Amino acid sequence: MRTNALQNQKIKKRNKLIDQVTQTGLLVPSILSASFVILIIVFITQRGISPFLPSVYGDMSVDFLRFISSNTWFIHPNIYGIFFVIVNTLYVVLLAAVLAVPISVFTALFIAKMTPKPISHFFQTVIELLAAIPSIIFGVFGLGIITNIVKNIASIFNMQTAGGISALSTILVLAIMIMPTITLLSITAINAVQKDIENNSLALGATKMQTMFKITLVSAKSGIFAGIILGIGRALGEATAVSMVAGNAGTGPDFNIFNTTRTLTSTMLLGLKETTGLDYDIRFSVGMILIILIIVTNLLLNVAKKNIGRFS
Amino acid sequence: MKKSKRFIVDRFYQFLITLISLIGLVVLIAVFLFVINKGSHLLSWNLLTGDYFANVYNGAYNDETVTGSTFTAPAKLDEETYFSTRWGLALKDDLDKEGHHYILVVYVDKDSPLASLTDKGDETSTVALANGQSLIKVITADNSIILSSQGAESAIEKMEEATGIKDIVFSTAGKGIRGSLITTLYLIVLTLILALPIGIFTAVYLHEFAPKNNKIVEIIRRLIEMLTGVPSIIFGLLGAAVFIPIVSSVTQATGGNLLSGSLTLAVIILPVIISSTEEALKTIPDEYRHASLALGATRSQTTFKVILKSAIPGILSAVLISIGRIIGESAALIYAVGTAIKDEIIITERSTSLAVHIWSIMSGEVPNFELASAISIIILIVVLVMNLSVKLIVRKISY
Repeated sequence: MRTNALQNQKIKKRNKLIDQVTQTGLLVPSILSASFVILIIVFITQRGISPFLPSVYGDMSVDFLRFISSNTWFIHPNIYGIFFVIVNTLYVVLLAAVLAVPISVFTALFIAKMTPKPISHFFQTVIELLAAIPSIIFGVFGLGIITNIVKNIASIFNMQTAGGISALSTILVLAIMIMPTITLLSITAINAVQKDIENNSLALGATKMQTMFKITLVSAKSGIFAGIILGIGRALGEATAVSMVAGNAGTGPDFNIFNTTRTLTSTMLLGLKETTGLDYDIRFSVGMILIILIIVTNLLLNVAKKNIGRFS
Repeated sequence: MKKSKRFIVDRFYQFLITLISLIGLVVLIAVFLFVINKGSHLLSWNLLTGDYFANVYNGAYNDETVTGSTFTAPAKLDEETYFSTRWGLALKDDLDKEGHHYILVVYVDKDSPLASLTDKGDETSTVALANGQSLIKVITADNSIILSSQGAESAIEKMEEATGIKDIVFSTAGKGIRGSLITTLYLIVLTLILALPIGIFTAVYLHEFAPKNNKIVEIIRRLIEMLTGVPSIIFGLLGAAVFIPIVSSVTQATGGNLLSGSLTLAVIILPVIISSTEEALKTIPDEYRHASLALGATRSQTTFKVILKSAIPGILSAVLISIGRIIGESAALIYAVGTAIKDEIIITERSTSLAVHIWSIMSGEVPNFELASAISIIILIVVLVMNLSVKLIVRKISY
């Protein structure tokens, strides 16, 4: 009896040890997964500040104050300016969001509330497929179709475009690309609205549309806003498609939608040839600014979201 | 009266919303029609298996006298194809992938003297004129020159009349995507090998082993969540600043390479794998765990032999989503690998995936829409198949 109990205890101890080893072993990949965000911030910052350090680039080092305030991208040999690029980026992303948000919200209402199941399934699949199309293909599409449309629109207004490559093309491509994100999150938010309050509204004599606009959308607005935040984050970081239709203007800020523009991502991606030197390292500085811009925008929008939620 | 007016307004809004909802469908159809219209005529087996770079060969035919033998034309030549009975050669006028005229070699008889020529660049080896190649220049024995601009008909006539042929310059077709296709497959395999174990183990830890309400676990979760919001170009910078130096110090790689690209892609798909696996683990009922534990298995045995097996459909859908993302990824790879199109693929050197191939040919002076659209069709088909299969798998799991 006693030996048996002892053995049992031994096995229990051993099993516990095995589990502890497994647990510690699994902690390693988990910490590794978590470390990449830190790696990104540390190494991009390290590389991104190197152009401004005389210890790295000597006489060729870039003046940081001029970099964040000047309105000409590059003056030979080492004067860079990014202020107008930030303004232009925010400008095209804002206009893309203004265009995409109503379309997305209406599409979400249509899919969630207005159609029988098979049709809404079909439309939801369409939006999901749209979300899955890689950005390079939107770039080809933008360069082949959207720039042509923009060229024609410009000629109606007697404006010049560089073959349709312009801020407007960028805005349209971005709007198409963030529309699925906002739509899918809005559908989730609208579906989460309690049926009771909608039924109450209908019972009080409101029409279907009045209920949808004044009850459903108002109740779902926090979730819809989360979708908008995600969409704007995507738009700020979208690189390939934007680079193909933006045109990389040298100076700015330019608010004429028919002129070429320059975003942070197109600055990083276009004209990439050497993989060493100032022209390469300055792209890490732009990346650093992009990360900061995305974080700040996210924080501000989240504060706004909280306030919207409070005053309902 | 008032009521009917309200309902008219209602109808109007309904109509408006329906109209606006069609925009997504219209855009999707427009994208498909555009790439199919521009690229479908290029889709062929040759496109998938051909080299991107055309090789120009300069062949010399030493025996300048007439061979005397006559060849018979193959049966299935069409009207615009011209055949030389003396050389056993059929030529045709054609347009290349950029719309320029060239002479296409349609058929070469296997006994034709042109099927074994001395390579003028390397006298010891032979080159063969073969179908699918383009004829650039022929110098006859009496030193008259036949150029491809003269057209297939006159080229055949002159070759028939000539006493012999001294020189023949021709090139392989080129503009094929075999290299990029192989690169894409390499990237998919290497990335999954790197990312799957880390992702799955992380998900297992977070869901099965991690202590509840622990600060450190909470921080790990938040950091992994933050990874999903990072734009792909920033991952590219990570690849350039961290992975390229690491790979270069271990292997003989000197710059961007497929390994650094795979490491970068692995980080990109990590959050997808972690969240899908964890979702799958959540759906497994606790009874499974309790039953296994009650039978005397340890928690490790329970996790790896019972729970993970049940999570396989979830992991599979994560793999499919990941393959879609790897194929579509461009911005990150431009930084982490580079944009040089290659025919010979070595994993410690640069080459392009299909998506970066499009970027390379579109960002040049003259964008090549036809080839870009043809590659886009391939990418779209793969991405759509992946997404629809994920939908099917998810439906299977939930019912």
